[in-house]
Amino acid sequence: MILIGADVGGTFTDIVLADTEKKQFAIHKIPTTSPDPSVGMIQGMKELCAREGIPLERVEHIFHGTTVATNAVLEYKGARTGMITTKGYRDIIHIGRHQRPQNYSIMQDIPWQSRPLVRRRHRKVVTERLIPPFGEVLTPLNEDEAREQIRALKREGVESIAVCFLFSYLNPTHEDRVRQLVEEEFPEAFVTTSADVSPQFREFERFTTACLNAFLGPKVRTYIHELSRRLHEAGASTGVHIMTSNGGVTTARTASEKPVFTLLSGPAAGVLGGDWIARLTGRKNVITFDVGGTSADIGIITPRGIVEASARDTKIAGYPVMIPMIDVHTIGAGGGSIAYVDPGGAFRVGPRSAGSMPGPACYGQGGREPTVTDANVVLGRLDKDHFLGGAMTIYPEFAFQVIEPLADQLAMNVHEAAEGVTTILASNMANAIRSRTVQKGHDPRKFTLIAFGGAGPMMAVEVARHLKIPEVVVPLYPGITSALGLLTTDLKYDFLRTEFMLSTQIHIDRLRRDIEEMERAARQQLHRDGIPDERIRLVRSLDLRYLGQGYELRISIPQGPLDETTLEAIWDDFHKRHHAEYGHSFPENPIEVVNLRVTGIGVMPSLPHPRFHSRGGRLEEAWLKTADTYFRVEGELKAFRTEFFERSRIPVGAIIVGPAVIFQKDSTTVLPPGSEAMVDEFGNIRIATMKKRRHEEMEGAL
Amino acid sequence: MNSSVERVSSRIDPVTAQVIWGALENIAIEMGHKLTRMSYSSIIRESEDFGAALIDVNCQQLCESVFSTPLQLGPISGYVRGIKKILEMRGETFNPGDVIIHNSPYYGASHGPDVAFCVPVFHRDELIGFSVTTAHHLDIGAHVPGSCGIVDAVDAYAEGLQFKAIKVYDRGVKNQPFWDFLADNVRAADMVIGDMEAQIAACRIGAERYIELVKEYGMEAVLASSEYLMNYSETMLRREIEKLPDGTYDAEGFFDGYLDSPDPTKKDLKIAVTLTIKGSDLYVDFTGSSPQVDDRPINMPFEGTVCVAVYLIVRSILLDTEDHDYVPQNHGLTRPIHIYAPSGSICNPTFPAPTIARFCPGNIVADTVMRALAQVAPKRVSAGVGNLKVIAYSGLVNEKYWVYMDITEGAYGGRCGKDGLDCVDTLYANTRNNPIEDIESHYPLRVLRYELRENACGAGKWRGGFGSIRDVMFTSDGRASVEGDGHKFPPWGIFGGRPGVPGALILNPGTPNEKSLPSKISDIRAKKGDTFRTVSAVGGGYGDPLERDPHRVLDDVLDDLISREIARNEYGVVITEDFRIDEPATERLRAELRTRR
Repeated sequence: MILIGADVGGTFTDIVLADTEKKQFAIHKIPTTSPDPSVGMIQGMKELCAREGIPLERVEHIFHGTTVATNAVLEYKGARTGMITTKGYRDIIHIGRHQRPQNYSIMQDIPWQSRPLVRRRHRKVVTERLIPPFGEVLTPLNEDEAREQIRALKREGVESIAVCFLFSYLNPTHEDRVRQLVEEEFPEAFVTTSADVSPQFREFERFTTACLNAFLGPKVRTYIHELSRRLHEAGASTGVHIMTSNGGVTTARTASEKPVFTLLSGPAAGVLGGDWIARLTGRKNVITFDVGGTSADIGIITPRGIVEASARDTKIAGYPVMIPMIDVHTIGAGGGSIAYVDPGGAFRVGPRSAGSMPGPACYGQGGREPTVTDANVVLGRLDKDHFLGGAMTIYPEFAFQVIEPLADQLAMNVHEAAEGVTTILASNMANAIRSRTVQKGHDPRKFTLIAFGGAGPMMAVEVARHLKIPEVVVPLYPGITSALGLLTTDLKYDFLRTEFMLSTQIHIDRLRRDIEEMERAARQQLHRDGIPDERIRLVRSLDLRYLGQGYELRISIPQGPLDETTLEAIWDDFHKRHHAEYGHSFPENPIEVVNLRVTGIGVMPSLPHPRFHSRGGRLEEAWLKTADTYFRVEGELKAFRTEFFERSRIPVGAIIVGPAVIFQKDSTTVLPPGSEAMVDEFGNIRIATMKKRRHEEMEGAL
Repeated sequence: MNSSVERVSSRIDPVTAQVIWGALENIAIEMGHKLTRMSYSSIIRESEDFGAALIDVNCQQLCESVFSTPLQLGPISGYVRGIKKILEMRGETFNPGDVIIHNSPYYGASHGPDVAFCVPVFHRDELIGFSVTTAHHLDIGAHVPGSCGIVDAVDAYAEGLQFKAIKVYDRGVKNQPFWDFLADNVRAADMVIGDMEAQIAACRIGAERYIELVKEYGMEAVLASSEYLMNYSETMLRREIEKLPDGTYDAEGFFDGYLDSPDPTKKDLKIAVTLTIKGSDLYVDFTGSSPQVDDRPINMPFEGTVCVAVYLIVRSILLDTEDHDYVPQNHGLTRPIHIYAPSGSICNPTFPAPTIARFCPGNIVADTVMRALAQVAPKRVSAGVGNLKVIAYSGLVNEKYWVYMDITEGAYGGRCGKDGLDCVDTLYANTRNNPIEDIESHYPLRVLRYELRENACGAGKWRGGFGSIRDVMFTSDGRASVEGDGHKFPPWGIFGGRPGVPGALILNPGTPNEKSLPSKISDIRAKKGDTFRTVSAVGGGYGDPLERDPHRVLDDVLDDLISREIARNEYGVVITEDFRIDEPATERLRAELRTRR
């Protein structure tokens, strides 16, 4: 089977063509086109197919990661959006949780007030009201009023409408009816309902998610429509699948209806790529570490799978987004992060970045501020002739020119200052990882760090050491791991219902009925996508908390019929998980069921695991040069004679002892003294971050 | 101790200091994270009315859980000072395994319901600091249910239980009689004790992490970094104070007190601020403020409320995180600020004057300090900020209490180049409201309306933020108490801006039984169907309303926030019936309004 993955980022579009039978894949990197990224993407696909001698029509699946929705939110360029909501609650999306985003600021802006997704004039109210616990109708929907408001929105020139009623997650009939009315009165409008997008309690977050969906709808719909048209014209025989934030893919149609689901598809693809490497190397506890020029994305994989975000913690451009997504923690720290001394004398790195233009000073594109990449040049870890496989020249003198003033300000020598930059950056990254591991009850000493992106392999060992992580794995192609991730995914649909019931009085029949309904819906959706039953998997879980708590833990429901025994097992599992996560459990307390979830998975063919064939036979053939690099060892910063290698020539099984630096086209791997690397049969570099002696020493501390 | 710290701090390198800063902050964030996730009451888990911090042996704050509310975080070091003082008086010492509860406002606490748990941290048998959490508890056994709206407590004893540095675990052994006694003396005891257990667990995590940090970097490096960080924060604030012209600047602020009281000493109360800038030091003197009210709980604990309000508003203005790098909130930020309030005044009451309802007056302290600073930092302040109300709803179901505290919101005044923030928690607090869908699923209450308050406006070139209207109805019989302010004195306008509009409280609006209520009510009975409408204040205007861009005025009209009449009368902007700006008419009207002044 022939598959294509196309990951469109801000700067580059990465394309991977895979043949699952021949267990081969080929890659292609091209600049992203603007304003329509699909132009370059399709051009790139054609070029790659031509190069590999595979006609485009033979491609059976095309998977696509896109930032069209994400950019529209970040740039606040969406549709003119209207809203129909319950009378009395016109300003839920404006008042929010009445909390200021910043504790200590008079001059701050509140994103949902200064950049409203729906302006107040377009927020229309209609008479209707539902109440808990089951969504009983307290006040029937006034349909005439609703029609009137829809017509008003039409007159006002909105392109898109979000229908948001209180308690609709318990009973969507009013929202669904108004959607029908919109389709009758104003068929050209994009319309979305809050229960359809995110059927769970917390009205501000749900309404905002729905409004965001409406805000993005027309733009994404047009983009996907254009893309599909161009693909068809180019001769493709298959439609495109779009990556979603939960790490699955969805059809072009679903992505057009629910663009909000694609908001974090880019970082999610990275975590999937890391997960693929984890499976390749047999690692069960993994931290994925994707570092580019401006930011680092961190994901966590445990034996239970990829960790998903708790819905209420997720924001984009300051707006809360309550959709299922992989827990990707992003911090502003990357190769382009700028180092500076602030007016109080503190030495800081990031989050401001030199980006790709002008980029680090050493790029010679006019950058005048010291960056992490410049610091690595000063320390001798990057080489002017071999940067990005020689595709780009770097100018060490510019790096020194910007690091020197920094050193003067800090009363340090230039190497100390440069090493300080990398240490502070690594410490910031380590803290970000700590917040997703130590704070959640995961011990990083039991994890492997999988490092990719242009700058991940450069920082990884240092970051790992801050956390006592024993092993780092650098994949064969660190720069295209996200695009590879696209090819490892399955079709995935999440269904959710808020239930609110107690472990002491479970309506087991209702739960069974709802599971059945949701599983049926999942199946139907997958059938519609052409997935036969034998490729469908259904996964069910409950979001639980102790009665009175406000945060839930997700506990899976064992396969088979739901009965008293399975329920007991579920409660038991919850107590255990609570203890693992928070260090405490309260086995006597009643447990509250909050949400029921069903995930429908349509299993897709998987990416091959190609064996790596080194271009060299002996390690010496990979040797490029020997030069001085600077590292801090046991508190002392000094120069070390360091071997530099060309990655593609390192033979499988060869062992490289740090200090060493490994160059390749899309990244640079740094091995500090005390670390040791070996290339495995898939071409991954496996790095022991601490030599045995050091490792034992550190065993005690966390 | 201090001099040796100075010595080592000059030896810490900026890189290590930065690394330790990040690690310390991470510890406090983890404490806060665990506390919110394990706690039971909505006041902690949804409203986030809690704090977590590490404190050094000299009672200086090292770091805080940056995502929780300033009013809980700011006072933490004061709690520890209070605990230390009391233990010394009793001749007790800190021991490994101790957990100490404390809430005495005359020993550093912010007010009674904000209960602290303090775990002394030991490394190699030496006390190296304290891991502390504070949180607002639903009930601490006052004479009426709840812990907000205790507005008629006559003295400190009537406010509920006083915990003065009590060891609830002594060398690791649980003080069971204390817990048994507690369970019988607070309402909704399961919730309260569950929250307290969450607090203790969070403190213990903090202590563990702190010890790990010391093991990793050594005590000397951690101390030196801490001192470095405090010096850094101090330096950052001093730099900003120094930029302001030396001199003395006055301001006055007023608050309701008890508007329905016949006693004139209980209402129309004053906060007087004399702010003096001398080089990089800032002096705040509250001489001239109203005397304490002996038998009503609106007196403000000096250390736990007044000082905190001053520190927080000063940093929010001078080190505003919108345009400054984040400066760590630690003890260093208090060093350049010197605060005085005469003993026996409302800003520095003497025991046993009650203090439990000090929240709203504290807002006026912060607001009045901002007003004084406006004279020297006009582009960094907002006009007057609207005060808010908290309502404690409660009732009995099967002989068990339910208590729910609903925090409403205020609104900020206009700012240089920006309108005020609408409907937010204010100044020294930053809690969250509770989702309507959560409230109605868990309490016999229905929220009938939650919207912006229209046609009440703090006009200005940059107008005040809008308040909210929130209607909450009982769906079964219950009780309610109200702790609020801002019904009489509108938030101030500045630089030609008009004042904002005060708030209100209405029982059963739009019915024959409609009744306007004062901002403070103690425990009234409510029948099923009774509805409380809170109308929150509108912030003051900044700059001359006649200079407001007519398009912004039109936007507010199109958004139904103000009427065409208000546009005309307050802003001199003439808007036609088909909602266009009549430019010639606007020019004429504005000119006329100017000459009429």
